[in-house]
Amino acid sequence: MTSAALPPYPWSIETTGLLKRYGKVVALDSIDLTVPRGAIGLLGPNGAGKSTLLKILLGLTRPTGGSAKVLGQDVQHEGTALRARLGYMPEVDALPSNATAADFVAHMAEMSGLPRRAARQRANDVLYQVGLDEERYRLIRGFSTGMKQRVKLAQAIVHDPELVFLDEPTNGLDPMGRDDMLSLIERINRQLGINVVLSSHILDDVERVCDYVVMLDHGKVVAAQPLHVPEDLAADLHVRIDGEPAAFLAALEQQGLHAVQAGIEFGRDEFVIRRDGEQTADIVRDAAVSSGVPLRLLRPATRTLADLYIDSIEAEGAAPQPGRGRRRGAAA
Amino acid sequence: MSVNPTAPATRRTYGEIFDRGYLHYDGPRLGVPAAIWALARYSMARAIGIRRPWTAKIIPFLIYAAVLIPVALAIGIRAFVPAFNFLTYGEFFGAIFILEGIFVALIAPEMVSTDQHDKMLPLYFSRPIGRNAYVVAKLLGTGLLTLSVSLAPVAIMWIGNVLLAQDPALALREGLDDLGRIVVAGVLIAFYLGAIGLMISSFTGRKSVAVGVIVLGFVISESLSLALSEALRDQPDLERWMFVLSPARTIVSMVNGLFPLNDGDIDSFAVPFTQAAGVMVAVMAICSLVMFLRYQRHD
Repeated sequence: MTSAALPPYPWSIETTGLLKRYGKVVALDSIDLTVPRGAIGLLGPNGAGKSTLLKILLGLTRPTGGSAKVLGQDVQHEGTALRARLGYMPEVDALPSNATAADFVAHMAEMSGLPRRAARQRANDVLYQVGLDEERYRLIRGFSTGMKQRVKLAQAIVHDPELVFLDEPTNGLDPMGRDDMLSLIERINRQLGINVVLSSHILDDVERVCDYVVMLDHGKVVAAQPLHVPEDLAADLHVRIDGEPAAFLAALEQQGLHAVQAGIEFGRDEFVIRRDGEQTADIVRDAAVSSGVPLRLLRPATRTLADLYIDSIEAEGAAPQPGRGRRRGAAA
Repeated sequence: MSVNPTAPATRRTYGEIFDRGYLHYDGPRLGVPAAIWALARYSMARAIGIRRPWTAKIIPFLIYAAVLIPVALAIGIRAFVPAFNFLTYGEFFGAIFILEGIFVALIAPEMVSTDQHDKMLPLYFSRPIGRNAYVVAKLLGTGLLTLSVSLAPVAIMWIGNVLLAQDPALALREGLDDLGRIVVAGVLIAFYLGAIGLMISSFTGRKSVAVGVIVLGFVISESLSLALSEALRDQPDLERWMFVLSPARTIVSMVNGLFPLNDGDIDSFAVPFTQAAGVMVAVMAICSLVMFLRYQRHD
């Protein structure tokens, strides 16, 4: 069951034609995925198939068709060995109410094969890491929602997994608790080196924590790509000027650059200019100088995850639902 | 005054702050059998209230007291009046099976219903332990814990009888046969009742419902068995098998077969030990099978 002997494997998740039907309902529609290691966001609205995918990858449910590998091991045929390398934080409150956090987390460590003494030591260490050092001998039933989420996170990483699945870890948390939880998840991935799959319907959570995103909608993968790719997300320039824009726009046209007015939410003096080579920013600056308009803002017009989400959904032909606005941080 | 830099530090600064950091675990990882034993051990402790609030300990320990008081009495009387046999092993088994039933009705729901209620099953099944190992752990835990009321008190009584005999060494040699029968009876009762209790409890996440169904099941099965025996009085071959319907009658039949009465007053409808034990083993197998099926994925 030791993971030390296993060779490093570049992919965290691989699926081929993964299909899951519940009666006539298709939860996962023959999805093909190859997802690298790192912090992976699994994004989609409720009912998109995120939880079903997680359950299949954890071996909690069988696929109707296709196959799936996690960390290079087949989820169907190598489930026992694989699950020793995985952690799972479920969405629901899967906690014994009348146990202390230390007892529960140590017990879950033993369930993953750790000897008793090591399990207790690891439980204390991990509870300290998630900020429950003082409270670890209190009964879980007296914990706040945020503390319960931390206990769930602690049990998911107590056995030092290579990959941890987090199912809606910020559910029910107030803004401060949510921020703390996301900080913990970032730390788990960046400092502790544990790969993370974060399932969420909140764009902000994924955008903050993850470096790769898989978007699901109606059981289909609508996007699977890295986040924050410079050549894609920084393709345009966002410009704001003071004064009359006509001369500025004419100066740009002379240099072969075309500016379009930014969205209404940005104001009428803001423009997006398609980047055309490395000198584009210099040309814009010179155009502002030559036309005599003060240049107030010049920065890459980054596309947010919300933009990416909406584009992906629209590309699939599905109209965005209410609440999926282009606003940054909107719930998907 | 010079300081020798090679001298070992004999004093540490009080109140040093250490960054505990995070250490990856590179120690041993035990296999599934260790996880099964860990789950059985944890479940047993939880079921009798260990590492839980004191209210969870009251009823299990009242039952332990109720079971151990007759043992203490029997040993005490034996110490002062050696010729008077206050309680035989067979009588003791016959007297305490109701308490054993109540004990199982209390612990079995704690073993499995609580996991369902607290939504713990996905957590367990996402670990290496898996579904079948989970069932094995729960059966093992329930059986071993029930041994503490079905076997331990009688074993203590046997040890007391040996130690209080005029020649303990001779009593030990002569009592080994009794000890063997005590172990067989205790183990059969524990795993038989445990399997029934667990199977019933596995169908609900509500402990109170499980406790009620187990207790009612024992009472109703007893009544049904007696009623059918009465109705089939003209058909002795059929009537003698009606014990199968009642756990209480099955246990009494097994104990009577294992510890026959000394006065020769043998019930003409008595069931041989092998038949009663066979029925118990079959019921255990059926209950275990139902549990294994119950916890399989149904998708």
